[in-house]
Amino acid sequence: MNLATLLWRTWRVGRTGVYIWAIYKLPAWTRRLSGRPEPDLTPTHERAARAVLACALDMRGVIIKVCQAVATRADVFPRPFVEILKQCHDAVPPRDFVVVKGVVEEQLGKPLDALFSEFDREPIASASLAQVHRARLHDGREVAVKVQYPGLDALVDLDLTNVRRACRVYEYFDPQPIELLPLLTEITNHLGMELDFEREADNADRVREIFPPGDGVVVPEMYREWSSRRVITMQLVDGIKITDADALRAAGLDLELVVQDLMQIFVRMIFAAGFFQADPHPGNLMVRPDRDIVVLDYGLCKQLPEGFGMGLFELLFSMMTVNESAMVRAFTELGFRTADDDTEVLLMIARRMIRRSDTGRFEGEFTEEMTDELFEAIRENPLVDVPTDFVLVGRVFSFLSGIAHTLGHRANVLAAMGAST
Amino acid sequence: MSTEPRSADARTSFSFHELLEDGAYEEPLVANGVRCHGGFTTDGAYRSPRTIHRGPAIAAWQDALVDAGGSLIEVSKDLLPPQYPNVEQAVLLCRHGVRDPIVRALTVISVVEGFGAVIRDVKVPALGEILVEPIAGTALAHLDQGLLEAHARDEAGWGEQGGHKQMWEAARDLAFDNPKVPPDVLMRIMGRGGRRARKRERRFPQIDETLESMITMMANVLIVEIFAEEIFEWGKQVLSDETISAEPGRAAAMVGYIQSDESPHVEYLRVALSEIAARTLRTVDGGTIAGREVVHGLLHAMLSQVVRARPEEQREQTRESLAEALSGAASPRALQEEFESLDTPWTPPDRTGFEPSAADAVQ
Repeated sequence: MNLATLLWRTWRVGRTGVYIWAIYKLPAWTRRLSGRPEPDLTPTHERAARAVLACALDMRGVIIKVCQAVATRADVFPRPFVEILKQCHDAVPPRDFVVVKGVVEEQLGKPLDALFSEFDREPIASASLAQVHRARLHDGREVAVKVQYPGLDALVDLDLTNVRRACRVYEYFDPQPIELLPLLTEITNHLGMELDFEREADNADRVREIFPPGDGVVVPEMYREWSSRRVITMQLVDGIKITDADALRAAGLDLELVVQDLMQIFVRMIFAAGFFQADPHPGNLMVRPDRDIVVLDYGLCKQLPEGFGMGLFELLFSMMTVNESAMVRAFTELGFRTADDDTEVLLMIARRMIRRSDTGRFEGEFTEEMTDELFEAIRENPLVDVPTDFVLVGRVFSFLSGIAHTLGHRANVLAAMGAST
Repeated sequence: MSTEPRSADARTSFSFHELLEDGAYEEPLVANGVRCHGGFTTDGAYRSPRTIHRGPAIAAWQDALVDAGGSLIEVSKDLLPPQYPNVEQAVLLCRHGVRDPIVRALTVISVVEGFGAVIRDVKVPALGEILVEPIAGTALAHLDQGLLEAHARDEAGWGEQGGHKQMWEAARDLAFDNPKVPPDVLMRIMGRGGRRARKRERRFPQIDETLESMITMMANVLIVEIFAEEIFEWGKQVLSDETISAEPGRAAAMVGYIQSDESPHVEYLRVALSEIAARTLRTVDGGTIAGREVVHGLLHAMLSQVVRARPEEQREQTRESLAEALSGAASPRALQEEFESLDTPWTPPDRTGFEPSAADAVQ
């Protein structure tokens, strides 16, 4: 990385940090001096979030991933941040083919044509960290080659160091109600996982082990011989995007069964296997004409602690039977903590979630509204320590509920476990 | 048949609240520290929850049905396959320190009991419109007026009172001194080979879909409840074995309480299904079909399938965990051989007792 890039990226993060600090703090000082009451901070949150978004779109790469991570933490950040940073889409303009070719050859140690008989110059997808090209192996197999952009390691280090510095300065001068550094550590960990393509291939293999052949799940085969830490070559699979209801119907698929299959896949991973693909947004899920579901992108997978699935089941179950002491037990077993063991906060959270269900009682579905309510309630009660695993699981069920509703059905977790009428 | 209630003195109509009402208990049931439903009367006898009116109501509906010339559905006990592993096999394993398969089995039972919570979500169609004969004063008229809700609460618990889920957990924890639950319980429940979702097969497409779905569910639950009799006997005998159980008396008693709670479930399902069987159903194309044809047809299909599949499923599930568990025993091979020698051979009967009859076909 050259000095100009280094200085520019540092300056860009610093400028955004100073701007955000100023729009929150200067009016607060003026207000304090004049004795005016605390105003609604929503407009300020919106301005700050837009500044972060602009910075991310300028800098791309790592900062986009950081923003995406922030957008998943409605339990921590104010709603305007979550809503605005959701716009931080992964789709970015692709890099030149020459760059991609260079990475593949450097990583796999051979000229491109020695590795592949065909390699499309145009990518089939491009995102903030990598892009994917269709190719063909010399034995005729069609493959998808995911290639990480060069120099990301250095950029990650630089950008995260800059963001970390900005957070430290903030917390030094003005301790925030939001503890930014632990969050940043978590984001860094996830980013590290996503950048390690060998780990991604391992994750895919682990998920494939959960689903024996014929089980209705397609996990693309990883071709290790043509893969490395920065390049993955995998089986090319196609299918219909899971939220394309018209195309699914046109293929003769029953949408209700598609939803049930999808739920069973994720419920099995989370509750039973304790290892799951944690990013089931519609772009990562396809359905084949035989109703097999293709699950793509294993960059973010999570191993849950032993007993987590049972704890989660107990939480759902206690909510369904309105057993408040069991809810508190389940929350505690899952790792929720309050500052002074005040269980009322946990109960309040559960009650709020139940109220946001469609019928006013919990019937086995974590709807998007309930998940939003959960995160909102947690954010309003920062004394609650929320296990990251739970946040990820909540986000998964929120995605699944959104997909189910798009297809006109419900994402019932308990029915997917086998409890159905 | 006449559907008039038997006599004016036997009440056959009850409110939702009445069917859920508990009597007064001298002492509540506390199972291994968890408050559960039901309790004990002054003479120390256990009384099931929500039975103060529900019990007499079910008896009155059954009497009314019989008095009107109907008959109660009877599922033959011969159809019950023996529990696997049987009592002797289970005790043998535990004596050799191989407790995981039994702890797992008890945990699976508790989770499945918890799934009973969804019984309240069964959709009951407008029976008064679909059935030709009136349903006032029958169990059918009370399905969504307290019977299904009471059943759901009994199985899964409600509010601060635990149900059968918690009671099975308590029985397990008492007998095995709060054992570590094997981590693969939920995987076992969901099935290792996975399950593709399937559309519920329609055997009687000429009737209202919600009605067929409701009858199917009721028939299915009835079969599960009747088959559970075998599990209760197994549970009581295994958990009361002093050589393996830390609390033989209390653990087995807990299973006995669950068993007595299940009796109203079997009886209300029997009478409600019998009431449908005794009536005529309107078909979606404006015709009619004998309720008996539908109820018996569905019971026959389910029993034929489950009687053959269930024993093998149980063995399959146990076998997998058994091999793993036995590997930790002192002499796995000898134990395995002794285990197998204690097996109970069983052949399913040829008939279910609900075979379609010629009379059904000519309706």
